Amino acid sequence: MTTFREQLKGRFAVLGVVVIVLLGVLAARLWSMQVLSSSQYVTAAEKNSTREVSLPAPRGRILDVKGRPLVTNQPVMTVTAPSSIAQDTTLVARLSAAIDVTVEDILSKLASFKQERLAPRVLRTDVPLATAAYLSEHAADFPGVEVQEAAVRDYPLGSLAAHVLGYTGEVSEDQLAASKLLDASASMGDIVGKTGIESYYDAVLQGEKGFRRFEVDNQGHMRSVLAEGAPRPGKDVRLTIDKDVQAVAEKALADAITEAHRQGFTNAHAGAAVVLDIKTGAVVAMASIPTYDPAKFLGGVSAADWKALNDPASEYPLNNRAIMAAYAPASTFKSIVAMAGLQAGITTPGTTYFCPGRWVGFGTQWAKWCWLHTGHGHLTLMNGIIRSCDSVFYELGKRFYETPGEKLQAFARTIGLGARLGIDLSGEVSGRVPDAAWKKEFNKDYPEYQQWVPGDTVNMSIGQGDLLVTPLQLASAYATLGNGGLVIRPHVLDAVLGSDGTPSITASTTVSIDATLSASNLRSVRNALVGVTTIGTSKGAFRGFPISVAGKTGTAQVNGKDDYALFACYAPAASPRYAISVVIEQGGHGGSVAAPAARQIMSKLFGVKYSAIHTTDVSR
Amino acid sequence: MKPRRPLLRMVSDRLHIGLGSAVVALLCYGSLMVWTATISMVAHNALVQRQFIGIALGSLFLIGAWLVDYTQYKSWTGPLMILLSALILSPRIPGLGSTTSGATSWLQVAGIRLFQPSEPAKLLFIVVMAAVVAEYGGKIEKFKDVARVAGYAAVPFVLILLQPDLGTGLVFIMISLGMLLIGGLRPRWFLVLALSGVVLVGVVFGANEVLNRTLQRGPYDPGYAAAAAAAASSAGADAVQEVKDTSVLIKAYQVNRLLVFINPALDPRGAGYNLAQSKIAIGSGGMSGTGLAAGTQSRFNFIPEPHTDFIFSVLGEQFGFIGAITLLALYLALLAATLSISASSRDLYGALIAAGLLSMWIFQVLENVGMTVGIMPVTGIPLPFMSYGSSFMVTNLAGVGILLSIWSRRYGTGL
Repeated sequence: MTTFREQLKGRFAVLGVVVIVLLGVLAARLWSMQVLSSSQYVTAAEKNSTREVSLPAPRGRILDVKGRPLVTNQPVMTVTAPSSIAQDTTLVARLSAAIDVTVEDILSKLASFKQERLAPRVLRTDVPLATAAYLSEHAADFPGVEVQEAAVRDYPLGSLAAHVLGYTGEVSEDQLAASKLLDASASMGDIVGKTGIESYYDAVLQGEKGFRRFEVDNQGHMRSVLAEGAPRPGKDVRLTIDKDVQAVAEKALADAITEAHRQGFTNAHAGAAVVLDIKTGAVVAMASIPTYDPAKFLGGVSAADWKALNDPASEYPLNNRAIMAAYAPASTFKSIVAMAGLQAGITTPGTTYFCPGRWVGFGTQWAKWCWLHTGHGHLTLMNGIIRSCDSVFYELGKRFYETPGEKLQAFARTIGLGARLGIDLSGEVSGRVPDAAWKKEFNKDYPEYQQWVPGDTVNMSIGQGDLLVTPLQLASAYATLGNGGLVIRPHVLDAVLGSDGTPSITASTTVSIDATLSASNLRSVRNALVGVTTIGTSKGAFRGFPISVAGKTGTAQVNGKDDYALFACYAPAASPRYAISVVIEQGGHGGSVAAPAARQIMSKLFGVKYSAIHTTDVSR
Repeated sequence: MKPRRPLLRMVSDRLHIGLGSAVVALLCYGSLMVWTATISMVAHNALVQRQFIGIALGSLFLIGAWLVDYTQYKSWTGPLMILLSALILSPRIPGLGSTTSGATSWLQVAGIRLFQPSEPAKLLFIVVMAAVVAEYGGKIEKFKDVARVAGYAAVPFVLILLQPDLGTGLVFIMISLGMLLIGGLRPRWFLVLALSGVVLVGVVFGANEVLNRTLQRGPYDPGYAAAAAAAASSAGADAVQEVKDTSVLIKAYQVNRLLVFINPALDPRGAGYNLAQSKIAIGSGGMSGTGLAAGTQSRFNFIPEPHTDFIFSVLGEQFGFIGAITLLALYLALLAATLSISASSRDLYGALIAAGLLSMWIFQVLENVGMTVGIMPVTGIPLPFMSYGSSFMVTNLAGVGILLSIWSRRYGTGL
């Protein structure tokens, strides 16, 4: 027996060594993984099983100046599902029938990369209660599908003030990039303000997202919540808009369109009106037609709606014409030209001009017509405003041309034209105050048109030519005349409200320019503007109106289009409170279309009974 | 009447204390791991219960094998060889077999699963091969002798490859090598065997590839490719196994597993996924682990087959390096005891049986633990005395019984 054991001794030793070496290899490998590089595996394990999703914060409400809600949130039942259900075709088909969304739409929503990877995809935002109940009762048939209550924007007043309020939508790539730059926490799929107040004050309205960190199993199903931070709701904002005045302003625009049609201007479809508090710059109403329904953007605007909203035939209802459109101010600019002339000392209120109907101040080859071809005869500067006589202002324009220093342009800028007023809404355009430098640059490819000619100043003097103002600038300019010469930054925000409803931030009045108008010059122009509404071009519109109004009509000629009707004013004339501008594109004459709209708005402002006015105006 | 010997002496004569304590410790450790690995499963209680039933059943086999004189098996070599082949072939017999998830073959009667015949086959293989090798008295030199031994080993090996069960086939090879070492095969013959093995593997894989291509079978079957693509896009490569595979020699998933073992980046969400999750589990366990029933990898189902093939991953995560080294130490104790029994066997036949068992266990530990830490390819080989599975447990405990039989009879045939 011993012999075979002796013989085998070496072989047992080999076997023993093999065992020790193999176990040693395993031990070394375990040492390397579990001791030396354990941390990398710990990180991988956490990444495997830990997920974080953000919890959306309800947006703040938007209230009118009296605290009445313009935009609120409403709870809706939304149906969500994890993207993984896309593989279960029978489930998707069953779900499609239950929530009335096509299979294709469900699949495309499930495949959306616009949301955090693990966030459930929203398949429908507003399911009826019966459907929600059905899904809950048959939860076993719809694994993964959840019915959740979510807050979406609600517009209790429909499209009222839609342009000021703006609409919301999913954050765009650009906005996302901008947010990253600011180190803000926006992430894909977030709902943000796209236009208007919703956009401008998004940071305030947005609130702070909460988060939920949780553990998931290998299927991505939540197993336990590790940590949770509740979202902080966005703050409410109170606007300077008065919803009653806003409603009347919108009605006035619609009525003005109807009136324009009645007067034969059937191309009238669009317009804008602005009501400013002349002392604070608060925007009491800002209307633009045509308008749109912001609710159409909830849960993503449909392709068909988006196409319709951007169709040229629709006159671009998304544009807020009050700040985004610039028009020739036409005769509404004459009061400003007169003021500029008085301030520059090149005319006086009593200076007499002669209107022959056909003005030949630059010689017969450069003859220009006054709108009244028969001529106004002899009349003072002030009567020139009241009658809206073109010849008076041709003559004054000629003087401005002859006076060095482009004083008309300088004055126009002094009262806030040609530059953004800085309203707290995005998209404001600057309008244009043309001068020699501008013309040279503008026509840099057309050398023959680069020279500033006398006719340019003369055209500008009757508010035509290359001069462009926004309805907001027009109202602001008349506010400046009304408040004694201050250009005040217009604003829509009144206050940001704290959680207890008291204002935490209040808008302040910012004077951006003091035009330092001489009191006597101001008195003369104001008297003339009152004359416009009592004996001048808009006397028909204000016949019987108990409040004294200082205003000016305008009828702008636009190449290839019907005349644009304008009216700008402030009231009451004696102790001004509000400035108003009204523009109706292709609406015809200012005195018969725009001025009655202004009267309609003022009736509401001053609590005067309003009845429809039909009048005529042939001036320009 | 024989004189009574002291009780302790009586026990130590018949029971190898080192082997006994290593096995008991492994069984306790294993039961704990099966309990914690199945804790989040619906069938948790049933699985733990069945694990204990497996241990109880295995203990009966252990006692039986202990009582039987192992030298008796020698005269049954012929019938045992036939039984061995029958066991391997049985799942293929219509009405008796059942195949799940690739290659795990079961013997079933009237729809009731009995056991996995490949497990007891390993034990029978050891017993049969020991008898064949022992005939040469510890010296295998001539080509004729090598050829005969290799022939005996080849029959069950080829049959198991036809299942196809690559893992068990490898176990057979390792058992053979260990026994041939003790049985006196000259070193140059090991070299020859190794070389011919490499050539054979190359030829088989090459032939498989060529045949698949020319006959448009397996991965080159248009139907397979389409179904595999669809399955891979939805549920990972594991689903590919469900696709009907018409490969000629080697199943596509087996080739995949080997390719992924060589380069895990090939398929990080499919065949590489299991390996990656297992490594994360073990690595994240760190020095002392996450604690019993803790650990996100095992609790949240990231570890595949946590109670069977990948039970070591659960152990690595929950008990860390300390727990893993403890296990390796227990295996070292088991294998040392087995070696000591082999060395103290009364005859070469017993020494060979013990050496076969030792080879089987060391290879299974190496393969299973190595697979979970990414140094061995993924095959379906469980961890001895630890993994859930009654056929496996009973086989291993019966092996322990045979070892005790050898130990008890080291001085003579009497018990």
